[in-house]
Amino acid sequence: MPAIQVQNLQKTFQTKRKAAGLGASMKSLFKPEYGSVEAVRSLSFQMESGEVLGFIGPNGAGKSTTIKMLTGILHPSRGAAKVLGFTPWLERQSLAFQIGTVFGQRPQLWYHLPAMDTFILFGKIYELDDAEAKKRIQFLSEAFELQDLLDVPVRKLSLGQRMRCEVAASLLHRPKLILLDEPSIGLDVVAKQNIRDAIRRMNQEEGVGVLLTSHDAGDLEALCKRVIIVNHGQIVYEDKVSSLKRKFLTTKMVEVRYAKEVAKDFSIHGVEILKVGRYGVKLKFDASQTSVDSVLAHLSASGDMADITISDPPLEEVIAKIYEQAKAESVDKQ
Amino acid sequence: MKTVSKYWSIFQITLINSLAYPGELIGRSLMIIPFMWIFYQLWKVTFAAAGAEVISGLTLRDTLWYLMLAETIELGRPPIARTLSENVKDGSIAYILNKPYDFLWYQFSAAMGETIFRAALNALFGGLTVWTLVGAPNHPQGFWIALPAILGAWILHFCVNAMIGLSAFIVEDVSAFTWIYQKLAFIFGGMLIPLDFYPNWLQAIAKALPFASAIYGPARLFVTPTLELLINVMSLQIVWILVLSFTLAFIYRRGLTQLTVNGG
Repeated sequence: MPAIQVQNLQKTFQTKRKAAGLGASMKSLFKPEYGSVEAVRSLSFQMESGEVLGFIGPNGAGKSTTIKMLTGILHPSRGAAKVLGFTPWLERQSLAFQIGTVFGQRPQLWYHLPAMDTFILFGKIYELDDAEAKKRIQFLSEAFELQDLLDVPVRKLSLGQRMRCEVAASLLHRPKLILLDEPSIGLDVVAKQNIRDAIRRMNQEEGVGVLLTSHDAGDLEALCKRVIIVNHGQIVYEDKVSSLKRKFLTTKMVEVRYAKEVAKDFSIHGVEILKVGRYGVKLKFDASQTSVDSVLAHLSASGDMADITISDPPLEEVIAKIYEQAKAESVDKQ
Repeated sequence: MKTVSKYWSIFQITLINSLAYPGELIGRSLMIIPFMWIFYQLWKVTFAAAGAEVISGLTLRDTLWYLMLAETIELGRPPIARTLSENVKDGSIAYILNKPYDFLWYQFSAAMGETIFRAALNALFGGLTVWTLVGAPNHPQGFWIALPAILGAWILHFCVNAMIGLSAFIVEDVSAFTWIYQKLAFIFGGMLIPLDFYPNWLQAIAKALPFASAIYGPARLFVTPTLELLINVMSLQIVWILVLSFTLAFIYRRGLTQLTVNGG
């Protein structure tokens, strides 16, 4: 049975509209005007149990609205969805026993209390036996390395530590599926890596399905096999992450800093120089056309490298590329 | 059993959480001291001007102890309407809604957890002030008799304030409604003047309204702990609790379909 089945899901919000100024405010008082915003337009997709699915898109694309419908918080305007066999908005409480959620921007831990208090509370809320809850807390505290954190008031934890506690708390009741809404937002590289490792481990060891929204291409690369990209409330791309990488994440940016002053000749075939200084260079190339090896060999031959950074283009750029392609395809069809 | 233990845990965690900042908790509760002192001055002058020891069955001492309990009930209850409206406005309601419990029972358990220490401290500081000003209450046992009615009063407050808070599903900002409710509770609940001092026709109206069941009833029971009054107060409270809790549940179900969660 698929973990998630979504068919033509739609959500339209009614919002009040008003022009600027006193006159418009007075008018709006007596004759308010409403407009509708289509947050999600006819979304259909499927997710298998135990799968890690990336669900990405720019701000306002409808990701969070979709997650809120899939957890039963919002009622859709139209369409159908089944999550683990439940219709979320009609069977919210029964579904809640089977799923976990983490909203990166909305903490669920009690801010002034040690995380352990929230863990114990969640044990009760999810109706676990005390012994079972204790065992599970022990297991999660090892898996997420929380041993020294559980007795510290949450407000005193770093963002990375807090997020590890958040994800662990959402796994307390052994959910079959967790919905992670930007779990790595605002985290540093090490904290992101820790969270990803822990999520991967839970997926592999316990078979927990993961629906992940993120702005970070690294999250997708590290965790997801398949990705769905949404914009303006509809799917614009759906494929394996490996295909996405092959097709779109081919551009690499390289920034090198040398130990000594170097000559400014960095012209390599197929490489675009973005910035050159006396001690360094920043360049961009298409890895599907020019090999990473050859570029690095050329750069290292130019002098003693003190530092090097290789980065992928930001996800927004990838998405923009996908839109361009989608637009071009629709023009071709016409 | 697990269901009861679930809501008991929610009550417990809010109770512990209310102790996170003890200075703030105590500081806020100290406000009852000037309130009681002002009431004492006002009613001392009023009783002297009337030239009477007893007005409508209440002495100055009864009046002060009545007002102490009325203030304790009112100052002890948490701002549920504001909290709910903020939850809706900032989107944190998403977290409260996605757990396996009944949303209204969750809110009620949390509200009661927040109430206990606040009310206890208000009663302590208010009680000490009134004791110093006019002496011990005539019927100290009245407090235990009034206790179930105090609990009933908080349930009523919860129902009305949760209804106001839930209107945030539609209007988002509810501060105007909480302001109106508070003022009506002042007048018809007998927060400033015991309802017994009102003209008969106004007394009859006020005593039938839920505001009286939420403030006047338990406070009056404290100073006049008779079986007759206990039955009277409790039966009226039960009627109002039934009416308002069903209305609240209905509004909640309707509100859910209207919900717009902000942010992200």
